[in-house]
Amino acid sequence: MQETVTPPSLSVPSRSSTSTQDRSSTAGQASSTAQQPSKPTVNPTPVKSKGPNSGANVRRMRRIIAEDAEWSLAIVPLLRELCIQHIVKNFQNNPILKQLLPEHQQKVLNHLSPDLPLAVTANLINDESYWRRCCMQRWPVCYVAKHGGSWKRMFFERHLENLLKHFIPNTTDPAVILDLLPLCRKYVRRIQVDQFLPPVQLPPPPWSGEQSDSGSEGEMEEPAMDHYQLGDLVAGLSHLEELDLVYGVKDCGMNFEWNLFLFTYRDCHSLAATIKACHTLKIFRLTRSKVDDDKARILIHSLLDHPTLEELDLSHNLIGDRGGRAAAKLLSHSRLRVLNLANNQVRAAGAQSLAHALAHNTNLLSLNLRLNCIEDEGGQALAHALQTNKCLTTLHLGGNELSEPTATLLSQVLSINTTLTSINLSCNHIGQDGGKQLLEGMSDNKTLLGFDLRLSDVSQESEYLIGQALSANREAARQRALNPSHFMSPITAKGPENPVG
Amino acid sequence: MNPPGSLGVLEEKEEEHLPTPILGPSIHSDNPQERIQARRLRIAARLEARRREALGEYLDGKKESEEDQSKSYKQKEESRLKLAKLLLCGTELVTNVQVAADIRETHRRLEEEEIKRQRLEKLENEVKTSQDKFDEITAKWEEGKQKRIPQALWDMLNTQQLHCAALIEDKNKLISELQQELKTKDDQYVKDLKKQSDDICLLLERMEEQVKNVMKTFRQELHHIETAFEVERQELLTSNKKKWERALQAHNGKELEYLMSRIKKVEDYEKQLNKQRIWDCEEYNMIKIKLEQDVQILEQQLQQMKATYQLNQEKLEYNFQVLKKRDEESTVIKSQQKRKINRLHDILNNLRSKYTKQIKQFQEENQSLTSDYKRLVKQFKELQKAMRHFALVDEEQFQEIWLMNEEEAKDLISRAFDVDRIIHTHHLGLPWTAPDFWFLKNVGPISQQQWKSATQILEEVLMQTEEGGAEDGRAEEEGAEEGASEPESYLDLPKKVSAKTTRKILMLLCDESGFLIDSKLLRLLLPLEKTEHYMLRLDAIFSAIGIESEDDLYKLVNFFLKYQAHHSLSSQEQASLMSALEPAEQADVEGGKQESLVEGELEEKETPPSPGLIHPNDVLKILEAFVMGLKKPRDSRAPVKLMKDVRDDSEDSEYWKALATVIPDATQNLWDALYTALEKYHLVLTQRAKLLMENSSLEQQNTELQMLLQQYLDSKINSELQVPPTQVFGVPAK
Repeated sequence: MQETVTPPSLSVPSRSSTSTQDRSSTAGQASSTAQQPSKPTVNPTPVKSKGPNSGANVRRMRRIIAEDAEWSLAIVPLLRELCIQHIVKNFQNNPILKQLLPEHQQKVLNHLSPDLPLAVTANLINDESYWRRCCMQRWPVCYVAKHGGSWKRMFFERHLENLLKHFIPNTTDPAVILDLLPLCRKYVRRIQVDQFLPPVQLPPPPWSGEQSDSGSEGEMEEPAMDHYQLGDLVAGLSHLEELDLVYGVKDCGMNFEWNLFLFTYRDCHSLAATIKACHTLKIFRLTRSKVDDDKARILIHSLLDHPTLEELDLSHNLIGDRGGRAAAKLLSHSRLRVLNLANNQVRAAGAQSLAHALAHNTNLLSLNLRLNCIEDEGGQALAHALQTNKCLTTLHLGGNELSEPTATLLSQVLSINTTLTSINLSCNHIGQDGGKQLLEGMSDNKTLLGFDLRLSDVSQESEYLIGQALSANREAARQRALNPSHFMSPITAKGPENPVG
Repeated sequence: MNPPGSLGVLEEKEEEHLPTPILGPSIHSDNPQERIQARRLRIAARLEARRREALGEYLDGKKESEEDQSKSYKQKEESRLKLAKLLLCGTELVTNVQVAADIRETHRRLEEEEIKRQRLEKLENEVKTSQDKFDEITAKWEEGKQKRIPQALWDMLNTQQLHCAALIEDKNKLISELQQELKTKDDQYVKDLKKQSDDICLLLERMEEQVKNVMKTFRQELHHIETAFEVERQELLTSNKKKWERALQAHNGKELEYLMSRIKKVEDYEKQLNKQRIWDCEEYNMIKIKLEQDVQILEQQLQQMKATYQLNQEKLEYNFQVLKKRDEESTVIKSQQKRKINRLHDILNNLRSKYTKQIKQFQEENQSLTSDYKRLVKQFKELQKAMRHFALVDEEQFQEIWLMNEEEAKDLISRAFDVDRIIHTHHLGLPWTAPDFWFLKNVGPISQQQWKSATQILEEVLMQTEEGGAEDGRAEEEGAEEGASEPESYLDLPKKVSAKTTRKILMLLCDESGFLIDSKLLRLLLPLEKTEHYMLRLDAIFSAIGIESEDDLYKLVNFFLKYQAHHSLSSQEQASLMSALEPAEQADVEGGKQESLVEGELEEKETPPSPGLIHPNDVLKILEAFVMGLKKPRDSRAPVKLMKDVRDDSEDSEYWKALATVIPDATQNLWDALYTALEKYHLVLTQRAKLLMENSSLEQQNTELQMLLQQYLDSKINSELQVPPTQVFGVPAK
């Protein structure tokens, strides 16, 4: 009903000040909210002339007339409605929000357009529903739980990601990002960028030697291939906690070139300086970026004694033993809780140094060495370390060419250790005997909830029996979780399926 | 078989339907009662669980009544296990893809490594062989240089060329091989890509399937659980219905019984009611009559009340009128008052302004007055100074005048005495003795007795006793004089206590109360003479006790003696010593003289043995008692001291009178009588003198006359005369 009346008043905003005066009085009379209780006797005549129920004199006193289908309370929108509409309309030029009453604020927020410039809205509007509309309008799929349940944070994080993804060095104006900085610095906690575009070469690159020459070409032009330097941005974000980067190009299709995927030394140095300066950083991920030993050492060196870092993920890179040693050093010089070196080239020596660091570590909860090649030497060293370690809960050693000697030591570990909840030994060559020894070790263990032995040449029987023991452990853990009278087991105990994935 | 779904959601679902039985009241509820209830339930559940654990039963926290809900519980447990298994299997199935990819990758890596190794080996071999060949060729170049014959050179060059071609051939072969390998690798890569996409497709398919499957099974299990609950509910319903019916039947039977008994009771009650009704009717009639009478009476009263009411109304109306009038008057008065108030306000304001003005004025005045006052004070001070000066001058003048007058008087007196002496010795022939009066010796104005300080007295006493008993008499005399001039000093030393006794007492005191003296002073005193030594010590002691004046000292001595006397007389009086001291002192003021005389007499008798009898141990006690007693009179002494400056001129007149009457009346009478007698004598003498004078004058006349006669006689006339005169007489002339 209100919508029918509002368009004229909006179309002539200049007149609204004069027209609202008498309209509000009539509206006040009609709704009997007693806005102007001093002169209720004067008003009835205009109401009668204008109102749809002008006929009956008696009806004037009644608030609701059921018999009259056309009768309506709202003849003219309230003054405050008009004001709110006006505020909404002129919000870009004259943002009035904080001075309003809470209910009016809500109304204004509900009618604000999501296309307003961020400079106006970023620091003024904290209302989640507004930002939700903004997000919904821009992206079809929004998973707000990934952004701490805050739509505003999600909006800014994804907005920033978009800008970073499409930033082309030397072409795009860096001010585009730096202008956004004061607006989003309070809300962005994570930067997750899965592509960095390289600078565009002025002459279209000759694609003649596409197959073999591209490598040499990339090396030649390396100095020009630096990506966007995050330093300024990260230094400006005061709440940044997570940095998830991939130095590469997505969806390159037939334009593939090796130098699209170059993580240069300058990039590496600047990134190292950036993360060293960021004292709020908790999670750092740099995956699929061709990080070799030297770059890994540069990065890890900058992370030594970092005050807050908890998770380091360098999976799908080219890190070898020297990088592994550096990571081991980092373990003893930080409060790292999760270390992921999956799909690298760490061999026995690197694993041994990691094991040495792990033996006396009290922070690390999860270690992932999937798809490396630590072999039995490294595996035995890790097993020895686990005999003294009292902290690690998750260990992934899938695809590491492990065999029976490691299994023997691990079975000893299983009977002693009470903190490990999940071990993955899939894709190794444990063998039948190793499986039996592991089963023996499992029989004494009451805490392990997940033990992956797929495709590791273990006999079906022992695998089944180990599975039985695991399910018993899971059941016990579930009971513990449901009856916290004994002692709250860690959260991982609740979901037995977690470690498998 | 089961593709995985979104695990989080499933987990939530699983957990959601599990804890439903215990979640009656929620801990997170808004209602505090409900929260309390929830917590209680939780505690109860925990206790129950612990108990069960102790009994060794199968532990299950969320089950409350295992027996009742066994079917549903079993169903739930079954479903849970089944679903967990399903999820586990599903995830395993999904991850199988990843694991397979992993193992493929590891295999590939191994193979790759192997191939790489072989390739490297091959390349190294190749390098070696080619290097050899190259060396051979380069060696041959050297040879070629030495060849001089072109034929041979050409041959050699040809062979060299062949060799080089062979080398290049080898290299080219290798390159082609490598390229072949690369191509196969590319193919492999494409295959791998395809395989991976297949894997991803499979993964997706499996995941979807898993989701579907899990959804389906969850739904199924939910359905199962629901049916189980339904069945259980049905059973419960039927059993409850049966119970209900049984209870209903029993209830019906009881109802019938109750009905019968009720009917009986109703009949009984009806009879009783009838009876009651009849009785009530009678009573009702009686009461009605009575009440009607009452009503009549009340109506009468009402009439009366009405009348009074009317009367009152009229009165009230009248009063109302009066009040109205008064109100009007009061309004008039009020307006008047208001006006008055306004006027008064004006006045008040005026007064205020005046007041402020006056305050200002007064302040000014005050200032001027204070300045005046200051000036006056200054003047007063000056005046005082002048006064003091004048007082001194007056004093001097007074002294001088006094001395002058006294001298004059003394002169007169001495003349009088001379005259008296002359009279006595010459006229009366009596021996004359010069009268001896005190005032005759007095020179200068009479002053009050000087307050000798205790130390002076001390000095005196000590010196006296040293000089010996010869001085005693003199002292006594002096004391007598003092006693005569100042009757208040009742405690005069010589009257009661001999100087010796005093001295002894003081020595004793000095010896016993050495603790009152400063140790420094004692050290200083050591080299002094005995008397001086004592004196200084006593001085220190007195200053410590608070003895200042002569009186105090005498009091002390007296107190010692008194104490001694009491002590020696009877031990009973000893207790009342303290109390006795005070009244004695009070009485002192009135008639101290008499008392002291009495006491003096009393003590005079006892004094000789006293000093020896005072035990040195008692001295301190006595001293303490004395100091206690001394405190009181000390306060009353203060004003007396202040008065000392004013001269007492009461005795002056006496003194002068005494001077005037230095010649007693008897002597005067004597003088009078003597005077009259002498007067008479004088008269006689004067008469005689007169007579003598007359006599002498007559004699003179006689002589003169004789002379004259002679002359006449002797004269010549006579001879001439007829009758000489001599013949007349005849004879006398001859």
